[in-house]
Amino acid sequence: MNEHRVARRKSAKRRDFLKRAGAAGIMSLVPAAVRSAAWAAGSDAPEKKEVKIGFIPLTDCSSVVMASVMEFDKKYGIKIVPSKEASWAAVRDKLVNGELDASHVLYGLIYGVQMGLGGPKKDMAILMNLNHNGQAFTLSRKLYDKGVKDGNTLAALIAKEKGEYTFAQTFPTGTHAMWIYYWLAAHGIHPFNDVKTITVPPPQMVANMRVGNMDGYCVGEPWPYRAIVDKIGFTANTTQDLWKDHPEKVLGTTAEFVEKYPNTTRAMTAAVIDAGRWIDASLSNRQKTAEVVADKSYVNTDKEVIVARMLGRYDNGIGKTWDDPNYMKFYNDGYVTFPFLSDGMWFMTQHRRWGLLKVDVDYLAVAKKVNRIDLYKDAAAATKTSLPQSPVRVARLMDGVVWDGKDPKKYAGSFKIKVA
Amino acid sequence: MSALPATVHTLKPPRVEIGPADESTQLHPAMNQASSAPEKPLYVRTRAPDWLPRVLAPFIGLALFVALWAIIARAGGRLPDPVSTWHSAVDVFSNPFYKKGPNDQGIGWNVLTSLGRVGIGFGLAALVGIPLGFMLGRFRFLSDMAAPIISILKPVSPLAWLPIGLMVFKAANPAAIYVIFVCSLWPMIVNTAVGVRHIPQDYLNVARVLNLSEWTIFRKILFPAVLPYMITGVRLSIGVAWLVIVAAEMLTGGVGIGFWVWDEWNNLNVQHIIIAIFTVGIVGLALEQGMILLARRFSYE
Repeated sequence: MNEHRVARRKSAKRRDFLKRAGAAGIMSLVPAAVRSAAWAAGSDAPEKKEVKIGFIPLTDCSSVVMASVMEFDKKYGIKIVPSKEASWAAVRDKLVNGELDASHVLYGLIYGVQMGLGGPKKDMAILMNLNHNGQAFTLSRKLYDKGVKDGNTLAALIAKEKGEYTFAQTFPTGTHAMWIYYWLAAHGIHPFNDVKTITVPPPQMVANMRVGNMDGYCVGEPWPYRAIVDKIGFTANTTQDLWKDHPEKVLGTTAEFVEKYPNTTRAMTAAVIDAGRWIDASLSNRQKTAEVVADKSYVNTDKEVIVARMLGRYDNGIGKTWDDPNYMKFYNDGYVTFPFLSDGMWFMTQHRRWGLLKVDVDYLAVAKKVNRIDLYKDAAAATKTSLPQSPVRVARLMDGVVWDGKDPKKYAGSFKIKVA
Repeated sequence: MSALPATVHTLKPPRVEIGPADESTQLHPAMNQASSAPEKPLYVRTRAPDWLPRVLAPFIGLALFVALWAIIARAGGRLPDPVSTWHSAVDVFSNPFYKKGPNDQGIGWNVLTSLGRVGIGFGLAALVGIPLGFMLGRFRFLSDMAAPIISILKPVSPLAWLPIGLMVFKAANPAAIYVIFVCSLWPMIVNTAVGVRHIPQDYLNVARVLNLSEWTIFRKILFPAVLPYMITGVRLSIGVAWLVIVAAEMLTGGVGIGFWVWDEWNNLNVQHIIIAIFTVGIVGLALEQGMILLARRFSYE
């Protein structure tokens, strides 16, 4: 990892140099590059000065909120107005009808809308990834009393004691749905045939788990920790156990918005990248972020529920505490914020795996269309954020299966547990 | 539709000169008390001699309610008790009109914003529903034509209208107003139409003998006779509108008492949810009482 980062930094320096050297030469022949070079020089002002960015009250909305609170937006000539939304469905509707300019949104949701899975179909854009890690699989106390401690003991119980087991996620095409399906399947549990999986808002998950109706759920912080504080459940695994540095929320908007306001798009991406860097810069910044986002305006919760896991101090609720080096990250030297094509493709392969996507699509072409690496590079240049060497990264998930982004169609069809 | 005339009977104010005589004997007790002195100015409330128990009864009821609540809260579970809820309410209402950015505003702003939405949706519904009700009541053919549509659409849950509103208006706020409009439309149409249909045939016969124009019939006979029914429809509507706004705002977000409840639920803050329930209830009661007051002012002597 460290070697990788050094390599990235080196290559970034090289690229920076090339950029400066070439600015007057080759790049001026390409119209798009002219625009971005001019923008980088500050002569191309944002078309829209005030942008309304939606968010759902979760810890991982932090970089969007801090971009506004710490006024990173001002630096780029825009004003970010964070707008608290009621649900992911409301975020989807408001993005599609243009009521929100952009939003803190589930990675998979954007691809779901792009392909019209179970809802409206519209060309979407992912400007950057907002965070890595920081979600968790929560199981109920009731299961713990029956000897369940992790995925394997859960699978053993389900095999032994037939019954209705209910698991919840937050949106059908969203990240949490894909995480819990993958996690269950990784332990040999079919998420549709062996158990019941439903979509409900987080408070309902907690309420249902309290009365014993819900066996497990996957959702972002602070909800997993909230279950531990309320003594109704425990963390069986974090999502970083499933996939270290997995993609999660993105800064999403419509392709239409990007077309219409390219400079504003770059400016808001740059502001949120800056905010992510600031949060990741020190533990005291993280502490301060936790205090700010816990406010009634944002997540509306006690800061104690947010702060521990924000600092990487984990407690699984059944006696294990540890310092997790892979806590929720917002920048990680540009590794978090870069919209990797392989991340976008991964969600489509899982949509395909679980039958949301009925046929194979040209995964790479769709990912290239949605993940706006072109704009991201401009924003990265403006914030002096280093770029990875390749827009594709390799990951080994919990079940040992490697995803290298090379053959998405084969990967999507390779799983033993799947739908159709 | 068949159940509606019964509702109308019990809520109908009595002092309508040309109302059917048998109905003035079946008054709701509250209305009876309110209008027991017809020779006085209309809006002055005269007290019945048995006022003391009548004043005390609501307080005894409330006290019993709070006591029951305290017992349930004491018995366990996660229901906050009345005292802590009261302290929390004092806290919330001590500064109802603060504004801390678009996502955190005082409860006063939230209630006012919701009332604004209700006002627009409900006003539009009155503009459309009342004239439509007159027409449906006056012309049998129109009424028969509209009957199946109204019967099918009337029982639809308000929230089922929301996706359609979102699709049509492409914005959350107009969609919420549209939902209020649709839901408060039906009681007004139906009650107005029922009122028109219940005008004794004699009056219309007299009108025919006198050869009155349709406009004069409307002014001198239809409108005064129908007014009590109409106001009942309006009262039912405003109740529905207030019910609906809370649900609609829960789904659409933004400023408003409905989203306030949702946000507190997101935080699992039960005390605030209880405060919101009382707030919604009290505002609803105020709206209803306001309509009763209005009804009295507009009753014809």
